Amino acid sequence: MKRRRMNQVPLFSSAGELANLVVTSNLTDISWAMILEFRRGQSALPCSVQPMVYDPTPNEPNRTIVVFAPSPDSTQYALSQGGDLVPCPEFDFLCTKGCPSVSINRAALTLFTPLYGHLSALKNKLNKREGQLIITGHSLGGSIASLFTLYLLSSMDKESKCRPICITFGSPLIGNFGLQHSHWNSFFVHVVSNKDPLPTLFLPSGRSAPTSSHSQATAYKPFGTYLLCSELGCACFDDPDLILKILTVASSEVAGGVLQVVDYGEILRNLKNRAICKGTQPVGERFAYPFSDGIVMELKTIGIDPAKHNIDITRMEAEARALAKKTNASDAKELNDIKKYMVMLEWYKKKSKEANKCYYDCFKNGDFQRDVRIEEFVGQLTTYWEDMVAQAERKPQKEGASFRTGWLQSATTFRRMVEPLDIAIFYRDGGRDYINNGRSPLYKLLQKLYDEAAKNPPDSKKKNVSVLLTDDSCFWAHVEESILSCQSLNHANSTPEQRESSWKNLVKFGEYVTKQIENFAVSPEIFLEQSTFMKWWRMYEASIDAFRNFYTSPLVNFMKSHKYDDYGLPEEA
Amino acid sequence: MGETVGKLIGLNDEVISPTASLAMEAHNSHSKPFLVKKIKIRHDHLSVVVLAFRGSMLPNDWFGQPPFRETKIDTNKFRSLTSLNDRGDAVINGSFFRRFNTVLEQSSLVKEVKKAVAKKKQVVFSGYSSAGPIAILATLYFLENLEPNQILPPRCLTFGSPLFGDQIFGHALRREGWSDYFTHFVMKYDIIPRIMLSPSSTEHEQILNYFKSKFDRKTINPAPPIGFYLTVTGNASSVASYEACHLMGCRNPSLDIIKSFIELSPYRPSGTYIFCTGNGNLVVVKNPNAVLQILIHCAELGESNAAEVEKRSMDEHLAYLSELKECLGMQDVVSLDGGPAAATLNDLGLSPQAMLCLQSAEEFENGRSRNQYQIRKNKDKIEVELGKMRKYKENSEIRRVGYYDSFKLQHEDDDFHANVSRLQLAGIWDEIEETLKEFEVPDDFERKKEFIEIGTEYRRLVEPLDIANFYRHSKDKETGAYRIISEARPDRYLFIQRWLEHHEKKPFGSRSESLFWADVEQLGIDIKKKGYLQEIEDRIHQLERNLIAWIDVDKSLDKDVLLENSTFVKWWRALPPQHKPESDRIEKLICDNEKAAGL
Repeated sequence: MKRRRMNQVPLFSSAGELANLVVTSNLTDISWAMILEFRRGQSALPCSVQPMVYDPTPNEPNRTIVVFAPSPDSTQYALSQGGDLVPCPEFDFLCTKGCPSVSINRAALTLFTPLYGHLSALKNKLNKREGQLIITGHSLGGSIASLFTLYLLSSMDKESKCRPICITFGSPLIGNFGLQHSHWNSFFVHVVSNKDPLPTLFLPSGRSAPTSSHSQATAYKPFGTYLLCSELGCACFDDPDLILKILTVASSEVAGGVLQVVDYGEILRNLKNRAICKGTQPVGERFAYPFSDGIVMELKTIGIDPAKHNIDITRMEAEARALAKKTNASDAKELNDIKKYMVMLEWYKKKSKEANKCYYDCFKNGDFQRDVRIEEFVGQLTTYWEDMVAQAERKPQKEGASFRTGWLQSATTFRRMVEPLDIAIFYRDGGRDYINNGRSPLYKLLQKLYDEAAKNPPDSKKKNVSVLLTDDSCFWAHVEESILSCQSLNHANSTPEQRESSWKNLVKFGEYVTKQIENFAVSPEIFLEQSTFMKWWRMYEASIDAFRNFYTSPLVNFMKSHKYDDYGLPEEA
Repeated sequence: MGETVGKLIGLNDEVISPTASLAMEAHNSHSKPFLVKKIKIRHDHLSVVVLAFRGSMLPNDWFGQPPFRETKIDTNKFRSLTSLNDRGDAVINGSFFRRFNTVLEQSSLVKEVKKAVAKKKQVVFSGYSSAGPIAILATLYFLENLEPNQILPPRCLTFGSPLFGDQIFGHALRREGWSDYFTHFVMKYDIIPRIMLSPSSTEHEQILNYFKSKFDRKTINPAPPIGFYLTVTGNASSVASYEACHLMGCRNPSLDIIKSFIELSPYRPSGTYIFCTGNGNLVVVKNPNAVLQILIHCAELGESNAAEVEKRSMDEHLAYLSELKECLGMQDVVSLDGGPAAATLNDLGLSPQAMLCLQSAEEFENGRSRNQYQIRKNKDKIEVELGKMRKYKENSEIRRVGYYDSFKLQHEDDDFHANVSRLQLAGIWDEIEETLKEFEVPDDFERKKEFIEIGTEYRRLVEPLDIANFYRHSKDKETGAYRIISEARPDRYLFIQRWLEHHEKKPFGSRSESLFWADVEQLGIDIKKKGYLQEIEDRIHQLERNLIAWIDVDKSLDKDVLLENSTFVKWWRALPPQHKPESDRIEKLICDNEKAAGL
C-alpha cells in the first residue's frame, strides 16, 4: 500500500465517529420506536400501506414524525413484483447530466404509486410545518419513506422552515439516480445490518428476486449516508461506489438464503453499548498513517477486509485530500480573484475606449496586450464558469436550477464581456460562421439559461448605455458575417444568386441592428470611428451606392444622419 | 518524567494539597459562602491566600431549563468573554452563575481579595464539585478587574468540577492568555466532570441526592443510584464523537443535518486538566480538544461490568483527597501536550479509537499553527499591496484630490491599479476571516500585535475605497446604508475593528474612523430624503466631533479628507451654518491643512 508522503498533512477518517454520533444520539432510537408503535396499532389492518403522521406533542413541540411501515402482506406482495428498474417520469426532477432518465425499483413503486394522491396532499401539509420532520420506515417502508422525502424536497423552497431527515432501516436500493453532488444527499441516513438480506436483495450477487434481471440490477445507485453495522460496531459512509461494494460483499456473506427478520431495535441497543465500550484491544503505538489505519479499522468492524475485498484505500485518501483543500477560505479567495479578473477586463475596455477604439477591435489587433494579460484572465474566468456550470449539471435538475439563479447575473456579464474576445480571435484567424462553427458549449448554455430566465421583454426605456456591455454577446459575430456578405456582394466572381443571398443577409442584419439600437441593447462604442462595425457600415454604404442606389431603411437613415452621435447620451433636461 | 505538578502548572507544590483540603471543607460548610486560609511556603518568600467556596447539591443549583441551563454570560461583568468575530458571547451554566453573583454581592469576597492583593499575596481560588464553577468565575472576575499594581494574577484550582462554559468561553480564556491560570483535577471515572455533557434528567437528580446525603451525613450509607451510567456516558459520547468528526475534518454533509436534530451539550473543557489515573499517576493535558476526548474515552466501560464502573464513578468523586495525597508525593507526572504517548494512554485505559481521536486533536492544533504561519507569510503580500495603496494616496494628494474622491471617479490609471490592489487584499483578508470564523488559527491570533497593526492599517487605508465603490454604484439602494454592522460592510473590516477596540479596552464602535466616509455619504443622502430632523442634526454634530477627535487628537484619520475639493469639504461647506455647531474648529482645520500644503 502506498503511504503518505512525509510532507503531507495527516488525514483522518471519521466514518466511525459519525456512526457513533448517530447511534448515541436518540435520533435512530426514536425512529425505530415509532415504527414499533405504528406496527402495534396496525395489526387490525392487514393490508395497510399508508403512512402514519405523529404530530408534535407538548413534550416535543417542534417535531413531526412520519412512519412508513407497510404490513408484511403488502411487503410480500410488493417484493413478489420484482426488483427491476422501471422508468418513472414522476421523479425526473432527479435527472442529472449523468442520469438523463430516472428509473425506480418495481417493488417500491408497487407500494408508492397507489399512495401518490394521498402523499401529494400530505406533502403539501408538511411543507408548511416548521421545525423537525423525521420521515422513517423499515424495509420497503424505508424505500417509500425515501421516495416521499425526495418528493417533499423537490417541492420545498428556500423560505421553507421545515427541516426534514429521512431515516430508513434495512431498505433495498431504490433507483438508478445518484445524489452525490446534491445537498439533498445529506437528508438521508440508511441503517443497514450486515445480517439483513433485504437491502441487497436486488443486487446481482445477492439471491435474485424472481423477476429481476442482473443487467438492470447493476444500475442501482445508493444515495445518502449509510450507517453500516455488524455485531462489532458501525461506520458511516457516503461514497456510493464504496457503499455498493460493501453491500455486495455483505450480500454474498449473509447466512443461508432465507429472509430472516432482523431486529434493528436489538442492533441499535448493542451499538449504543459498544459506543461507550473501549473494546478489548489495548492501545498500541501512535498511528503512523491515521487515515488508512483508521479506515481499515472501521471497515474491519463492519466485516470488510479491505485487502481481500479489493478496496483501494490510497484512492480514498487521495479523494479525501482533494476534498479537504476546498474550504470556505479558499472559496472566498477564488471569488475575489474572479472579481479581480473582471475588473482587469473592464479596464482593458476602458483603455481601448480612451484610444477611441472598441475593446473588440483592440483585442483583434493585439493592442495594449502587454499592459494587461488578457488571455490569461479570459482563461481563468472561462475555467471558473465551466466549473460552475458542471457543478450545476451534476445536481438534480430542480436543485441545479436554483443553484444557477444565484450566479446567472454574473455569468451573463462574463459572457457579454468575454465572448466578443473569442469572436475576435475566431475571425482574426479566418474563421467563418462563428455561431455554428466556433461558439463554445459554455456560451451556448449560458445564453440558453439567460433566455429561459428572462421572462420580461428587454427594457427599452432610454438609459445611460455608455457603461453598458452589448446585450447580445454574439453581436460582433453578426458584424463579421455582414462584412463577409459585403465582400461577396462586391466580389467580381459572385453569381447573381450569391449576391441576392448576401443582400438578404445584409437587410436582415440591418433590421437586427435597428432593433438593438431601439432597445439600447448595444454599447455606443460600436460607433467609434475605427470599429469593425463602422468599417462594415462604410462598406455597406458603398455597396448601396453601387447596387441599390435608392435603398433605404431605418438603420441607413440612422447612420447617414449621424444620429448615433447622440445615441445613449442622457436626454436634455 | 520527573516533573512535579507544581512545575507544570506554575504553582508551588506545597499549595496543592492544603488547597484541596480547604476546598473539601468549604464545599460542605454550612455557615460561610467561602473559607480563607493563608499558606506559608518554606524556602519561599511568597505567601499564598486560598479562598475556597461552598458547594450545593440541590438540583436547582445545577440544572433547569433549558436542558443544559445554558445562558449567555453577562459581558458587562466579563467583557473579555466573547468572540471577536461573529460567533457571539460565551455561554455558561446559568445556575452556577447565579450562585456566583450571590457570593459576589452578598459576601466580603471583594474585600478579602483586595486585602490579599494589597499585601502582594498570591490569591488562589478553589472549589470542589459544584463549587468549582464558582471558583472559576471568581478567578475570571478578578482577572477582568486586576488591581493596577497587581503583579500576580489570581489562580484557580478545582477538584471534580462539572463543566461550565462553552467553546467561546474556552476560546476567550485562551485568547486572553488566562487559560494557564486554571487547573482542574479530575479522577478517571468521576461522574461529576462529565455530568454536564448530558441534558438534565431524573438520573441527574438521583446522583446529586446521593452525594447530598453523603455530604450531609444524615443517612448512614445511602444507597447509590444505579442504571444511569449508560445514559450519561452515552450523551457524553455523542459530544465527543461530534467533536471528533470536526477534528478529523469530516466532509459528510449529513453531519450538520444530524446535529440539527439532536441536542448536544454546549459545555467544553478549558484550562489545564490533570487526570488522576487511579494508579498513582497524573497526566497533564492542555489541548482542550484532547481533554474532551480523554474525559469521555477514559471513562468508557472495559472488561469489567457496567455496575462496577458505575459504582466507581460515584466513589471516585469522593476520593480526591486520598488520591492526591498519594500522587503528589511522587514525581510521576506526564504532560500529554507533546503528543499522546502510548504508555500514558495505557495508564488512562484508552482504546485505539481514542488514540486516533487524540492524534486528530493534536493534528488540529498543528493545523492551526500552520494556518497562522501561512498568514504570516502572506503578510509580505499584504505589505506590498498596502505600499501601493499608500503611494496611490500620496499621489492623489499631490494632485489635491483625496484618494477617496479619485477612486470614486475612476478616471485615472492609478484608480484602476488601486482597485486591483483592493480586490487582491480583499481576497487575502476574506481568507483570513473565514479561517477565524472556524477557529482555525491559534486562539490568541486576534490579540497578536503584528496582526492588529497590519489589520488596522489595512482597514484605515482601504475601507474608504470599499465605501467609495459602494456609493459610486449606489449600492445603498439594494442593501441599505454602509454602517458599522450591516450587510453592506464586509465582515473583514468589522473583525479587524473589534481586534483594536478589544486591545485598547475601548467600547464597541469607538474605533469607527475608517467609516468616516460612509457617514458623510449617508448623511448627504438622508438630508436629501428627510431634511434637517433632530436625528440628522445629532448625526452631523457627532460627525463633526468625531472628525476633530480623529484628526486632531489621535490622528487615526488622515487630513486628506480636509482637502478643499473633497466630497466632505464641499458637502460640509454647503450645509447651512445653523447646522454646523463645530464650524469654527473645522474651518480652521481645513485652512491649516491648506496652509501646510503651501497654498
